[in-house]
Amino acid sequence: MLFNSYPFIFLFLPAVLLGYFALGRRGNLAPVIWLALASLAFYSFSNWQFVALLVGSVAFNYVIGLLLIARKLRPSLRFAVLTVGVAGDLLVLGIFKYAGFLAANLNAMFSTGITLHILLPVGISFYTFTQVAFLVDAYGGNVARYALPHYALFVTYFPHLIAGPILHHKDMIPQFERSETKRPDAHLILCGLIIFAIGLFKKTCLADGIQPLVSLAFGPNAPSFDQAWIGALAYTFQLYFDFSGYSDMAIGISLLFGIFLPLNFNSPYKAKNIIDFWRRWHMTLSQFLRDYLYIPLGGNRRGRVLRYVNLMITMLLGGLWHGAAWTFVVWGALHGAYLCINHAWNNFGPKASPRFAPAANLAAGLLTFLSVVIAWVFFRADSMDTALYVLAKMADPTKVAFGKSEMAYALFVAIYAAVAWFAPNTQEIMGYDHESRTVGEKLRGVRMRQLFLYATAAVLAFGILGIQQHSEFIYFRF
Amino acid sequence: MSVSAKSLIQFLCASATVMLLAVVLNFVVDPLQYFRPARLFAAMYSPDSRMQDAGLIQSQRFDTVLMGTSLAIHFRQSDIDHIVGGRSLKLSMTGSTSHEQSFVLNAAMARHPNRVIWQMDDWIFRDAPEIDSDIYLQADLYRRNSKGIASYLFSGAMARESLWILARSVPLFEPVVARLTNGVMFKFSIADVDGINVLRPDFDVAGFYNAQAAVAAFRRITDPVRSAYLAEGYDYDAMVKTFERDVVGLIENNPDVKFDIYFPPYSILQFVAMRDASPATLKIAYDFTAYAFPRLTQFSNVTLHDFRDVKEVSHDLGNYGDVIHHSPAVDLKILSWLAEREYVVDRTAPLASLQRLKAQVEAYRVAR
Repeated sequence: MLFNSYPFIFLFLPAVLLGYFALGRRGNLAPVIWLALASLAFYSFSNWQFVALLVGSVAFNYVIGLLLIARKLRPSLRFAVLTVGVAGDLLVLGIFKYAGFLAANLNAMFSTGITLHILLPVGISFYTFTQVAFLVDAYGGNVARYALPHYALFVTYFPHLIAGPILHHKDMIPQFERSETKRPDAHLILCGLIIFAIGLFKKTCLADGIQPLVSLAFGPNAPSFDQAWIGALAYTFQLYFDFSGYSDMAIGISLLFGIFLPLNFNSPYKAKNIIDFWRRWHMTLSQFLRDYLYIPLGGNRRGRVLRYVNLMITMLLGGLWHGAAWTFVVWGALHGAYLCINHAWNNFGPKASPRFAPAANLAAGLLTFLSVVIAWVFFRADSMDTALYVLAKMADPTKVAFGKSEMAYALFVAIYAAVAWFAPNTQEIMGYDHESRTVGEKLRGVRMRQLFLYATAAVLAFGILGIQQHSEFIYFRF
Repeated sequence: MSVSAKSLIQFLCASATVMLLAVVLNFVVDPLQYFRPARLFAAMYSPDSRMQDAGLIQSQRFDTVLMGTSLAIHFRQSDIDHIVGGRSLKLSMTGSTSHEQSFVLNAAMARHPNRVIWQMDDWIFRDAPEIDSDIYLQADLYRRNSKGIASYLFSGAMARESLWILARSVPLFEPVVARLTNGVMFKFSIADVDGINVLRPDFDVAGFYNAQAAVAAFRRITDPVRSAYLAEGYDYDAMVKTFERDVVGLIENNPDVKFDIYFPPYSILQFVAMRDASPATLKIAYDFTAYAFPRLTQFSNVTLHDFRDVKEVSHDLGNYGDVIHHSPAVDLKILSWLAEREYVVDRTAPLASLQRLKAQVEAYRVAR
């Protein structure tokens, strides 16, 4: 089921919300069970064949977690239990996500004749990572014992289940345990609806609106120089508004239930360098990769050379996490290289004098943005050949179309760029603070400014009116 | 009631009001002319025929329907009326499958046309999604059920077009709006129903349709890197099954409607490309004809025309923009042939034209 669909907005969400608050009057546990069951129902609407896999994964990890938390095991046995848990998770992920890729590569190298067609369960990358983090923390003694319904809800919680944000048990489970979240709070519901409206607008009006331009670069026709750039830039903005729109909608929906989700985006295209970019783009993935991969690998504690090696490994695996294809590996490698260059520049590069700081910042921002756009070409392309072909067109200014259509398209892209670069982001508009669990504090207690209220109501209406027959989120396939 | 609760109610009511305004706007302006022919506002049409056809079927007067793919997209309805006779409605859709065509034709049958001119080839019978899984065609809009009507009225994109049409109807704004309407930002850019998907007067016909373009396309599709595309979706059994469901089913259900079915004059290079780069596909194309022609000629309400072996057209590569798409001049010839019943497949020898085509393909040598 899609957030941007009429059945979700007008049937599923109101029904789940009503049930949650109705059960909240009777106790603290029933709403949690209700929400977990509703989440499974949400998942089963379009992925019924993988519900058993999801339930099995939750049960498996809960039992492993229980062994690590509750039983006093010998250190070697504890490590063995952790190994079984993590290996089990990665094995399932590997079978469903990477077996086909591996077989195709073996086939290409050794003509083995092996072909595998395995359907990818939606959300598997997200719920696997969430649970691996849980097991690693349980092994480290950083997890209190949780009840099964709370744990099950933490993994399956429908606002994040399909495409994140990647949640952390320490952040979420205590919120599920609080009885205050089971009582409707008009302020949180209003703020949640406004954040949902902004996300829906980003998806249905902005991301879906620019999507047709992407085919200028990645469609069947040979693009000219300007068409290739328009298509690549269009994808750059489509992906941002699509994924950040989804994340906003997830945060907004969750607020209706009184639960604060972590932020996933913070105006990434305003970044001044690549390090800054990764602190703003898909923030929960960056945090996960940092805490559970980069730091365990040694991080920056073992000298500069190993730091760069660790960065490259982290980003390569981060690329592969997105999809089983060489294009994603190259995308990850490019970002790994960008990060290494950025760190090396910070260590060895000259510092701009304060006089030139504004110009240097502008140049750095532009260079960062261009580097990101070039990497997105690999992220979007169906194959390496296509990616190199599009990049070759972007580097060949001898063939320019720039007719009436291209001028209109360029204007279109410029408007999107202006929104991404200069408009405040959702959390700035709404004063959303995940750490302090506050939102819209300036709006609380006083009557909301009428103009703001009506403008956001119109945004919700435009978002709903913009719903097309079937428009999936790009990150559903990862 | 708390301040937040009051604000929440205000917010929801304001949202509902904006949506209702859009619904009213769409209903009153009715850009597709789905509920009524345009009277209050200037009629405007979209080149997106999968969407536009749903409105055309309701708003236009017609007794003849033209259906086909991009090979039948540039016809002018006025030319059809003038040459073939009747009052025609063009419903051709670029890249359409037989499933889409049959579905749209079926919707048009509710208006009781007495004739269907149907451009057909083996390509349209390749595997196609079920009509409700087809993301390009809004099936419910054609079915006129509540879901279809709601999706039309609650569409923000349609409300934007409605506003645009509304602005165009104000004399003060009309010149500016007309100049800005170019199909890039607004989809309903065509002011004349006869102008839907026809080539613009300033279109460089000679620059687009010429032998160099045809040969270049031939080289492209026979390139070993791309030649696999020639075979894509060609499966004899599946094609026959699709043909029976989409074509035979429609013909059998409408015995009072006359069907003029024609196979268009591809350039000979299309078949030669299959011969050289994908012989198995050519065999499927031949076998499919060998099945479909005798089947079609069984029906008394079908007249079958095969233009594929009309050598003076198919061998003159100057007629083509690639290996299949022919120029507007050939469009006019097709209409004349239909009117004069030329190249009609003989019911007693339905495969004679196929044999001639096979001989031509076999004999043709591509200039080096």
